[in-house]
Amino acid sequence: MAVNEITTWACGVLQDTNGRDVSKVLGAAAGKEGKDIWVIDNYADLPDRVNVPVRKYCKISDEPIKEKFLYENHHPNIVVLMEDVYAKAYNILKGAPKGVTLVVNTNKDFDFVLDMMAANPDKGKIKKLAVVDASSIAPGVDRDLMDIEGAEGGSQIGKGIGACLAAVVAKVTGVVSLDNVMAVVANKEAAKKAVDSVKVKEL
Amino acid sequence: MPKKFIPGLAAAANAAVQADVDVISSYPIRPYTGLMIQLSQAVANGDLDAEFVHGEGEHGQLAIVHGASLAGARTMTGSSGVGVTYPMEVYSPISGDRCPVQMVIADRTLDPPGDFGQEHTDALSTKDQGWLLGWASLPQEVYDNTLIYYRVGEDPKVLLPQMNCHDGYFVSHIANWVNIGEQSQVDEFLPPYKAQRPLDPLRPVGHGPQIYANQGPALEATRFNAIWGAREVIQQAVKEYNEIFKRDVDPFVELYHMDDAEIAIFIQGCHAHTCKYAIDDLRKEGVKIGMVRPKWIRPFPSPEVAEALSKCKAVGVVETNNSFGASGYAGQLTPEVCAALVKGAVKVDKVPQVASFMAGLGGHPVKIEQFKFMAEILAKGAKGQFDKPTYWVDLECEVEM
Amino acid sequence: MFDTKKLQVPIPAHLEIPEGGVVESPKPDGEQDQFPSGGWRILRSVIDQERCTKCLTCWLACPEPCIELAEDRSVSIDLKYCKGCGCCANVCPVQCISRVPESDFKGDVEFMDEPF
Repeated sequence: MAVNEITTWACGVLQDTNGRDVSKVLGAAAGKEGKDIWVIDNYADLPDRVNVPVRKYCKISDEPIKEKFLYENHHPNIVVLMEDVYAKAYNILKGAPKGVTLVVNTNKDFDFVLDMMAANPDKGKIKKLAVVDASSIAPGVDRDLMDIEGAEGGSQIGKGIGACLAAVVAKVTGVVSLDNVMAVVANKEAAKKAVDSVKVKEL
Repeated sequence: MPKKFIPGLAAAANAAVQADVDVISSYPIRPYTGLMIQLSQAVANGDLDAEFVHGEGEHGQLAIVHGASLAGARTMTGSSGVGVTYPMEVYSPISGDRCPVQMVIADRTLDPPGDFGQEHTDALSTKDQGWLLGWASLPQEVYDNTLIYYRVGEDPKVLLPQMNCHDGYFVSHIANWVNIGEQSQVDEFLPPYKAQRPLDPLRPVGHGPQIYANQGPALEATRFNAIWGAREVIQQAVKEYNEIFKRDVDPFVELYHMDDAEIAIFIQGCHAHTCKYAIDDLRKEGVKIGMVRPKWIRPFPSPEVAEALSKCKAVGVVETNNSFGASGYAGQLTPEVCAALVKGAVKVDKVPQVASFMAGLGGHPVKIEQFKFMAEILAKGAKGQFDKPTYWVDLECEVEM
Repeated sequence: MFDTKKLQVPIPAHLEIPEGGVVESPKPDGEQDQFPSGGWRILRSVIDQERCTKCLTCWLACPEPCIELAEDRSVSIDLKYCKGCGCCANVCPVQCISRVPESDFKGDVEFMDEPF
């Protein structure tokens, strides 16, 4: 049974909407493919504090997800870093199985990212590392306060770097089809640019 | 309308907009705030024509809807955690004045200490105040309940306020598929609220007067009759709901594999769905286990619960709430179940052994393994006696996440 | 008769918690050891010690507080706790504090399993 757990690390308030967008875009695309989805805005990280590292979660599964009433992804096999510097201080790969894919939003290269994770004991579990400079493709802070805390009906999803990173996840891991991601994001141009400029390394 | 993938609070907000509520009073407290965020946006956009009043506190919130309802408005308010216990003073007047206010509650643990996770104690602690009280376990049910509760509460034979409860975060924030009805279906199911004696300068009335002591018993009896008479109204309302919206909603309890069950788990709220997966696994191994999920706490579905559990040898009541020192050595649901088994309208020949499981306290998730742990204990209890009355599943069966 | 003493719930050692969850206040010259918040930092404040006039405005303004004062009145930032809010750079009267991306530096933060 293929359960894909996708955890996104974002910066509180300033990247909150985009962080949620990564989960929502992937979830919406997977929903179109008839998969079972679980999309969560993290509860424990108290996301209403600026600059605090917050995590957003998404699970995509071919079969019904049995345990939906949980708070976190404990074994993420895809990790998305919207803010590259968090890799220095935190074990972003905690609980990840061997063969995890790491997607990083950075303007630096592979060696720099791996160097930054020097203290991380789980570094060897990375199979694929993808870097893309999403922040220069779709700059700007997207603060949509409608889609939080259980409310919905805000504006469209995928207007900023969230769209870029979701498209890159689809391209690099194939967890959902890239066409479906393109269909649901609002900023298709940015998503396409990100997919064209991503660099992937197998480890 | 196509299905929407939305969380519980959004489902309640959608239903409130379609039900055309007239007065909304708000005050923020996590986790239910999302409801007011969305309703305020709907009012600002013009999707909903309502008065949106921000109270100075939860007590103010309830007082606002009390007055509005007496003036004939369909009202909505909500809260969580200690925000539910703060307006305790106002619950009884609202119920006694027969105002069909609806309060959407997304459960949260009571302070201290600060805990955003959910427990049912907040809403359960108001169960004696004379409100209709029930739990939804999925966003779809939150939508259904918002409409059904208005229909039941505003019925002239009932006229009681309703608490539309669901688990904080697990149902309020986690999205799931919801069938949203068409506006025409909602209009057909839910007629506008017609207050019998609204506050009107052309037709003066006095609500909530002082009474003589000899008027007390009869006054209380009218409310007793109303809430037990609500059972018929609930059945009728759910039947109409199923016909109009083409759904299959259970009126009082949800039963799962209870036909030949020897042991049963009695559980309310979202964790019941995880329990169903555990029961599927156990049934494959030949364990005759079933589940009863009550949809109402007030009026408590005693006949249905007694009938479903009467054939079992052992029953486990899962409590995600607390009542320190209660009879039954557990929370607030154990005494309700035990009373149903002893005094339900159905005579139970052999009362099953009852054990209580404290699970999910403080908002802790409950996993399939923990339900299997409970089933093991129930199987042993079915053969003899339980070695203790209450099991703290969160402490005794710690599971790796 | 049922002995209610048997109702006492044994609490596992690693979950023990005092009454009401009360937190004993931090020791006066100790640290909040469990929350080295340096990892939150996205922009680091770098003080140009040559131009610093030792006015101590930044030391007063730091909300943490995590600016350390040496005997000769020079200031340095405690990188273990600094969250990178930038108040110091904002209030400096001679603008000698610059904001540099944290990813330009290696190390200086404690590696932790979880952010909190």
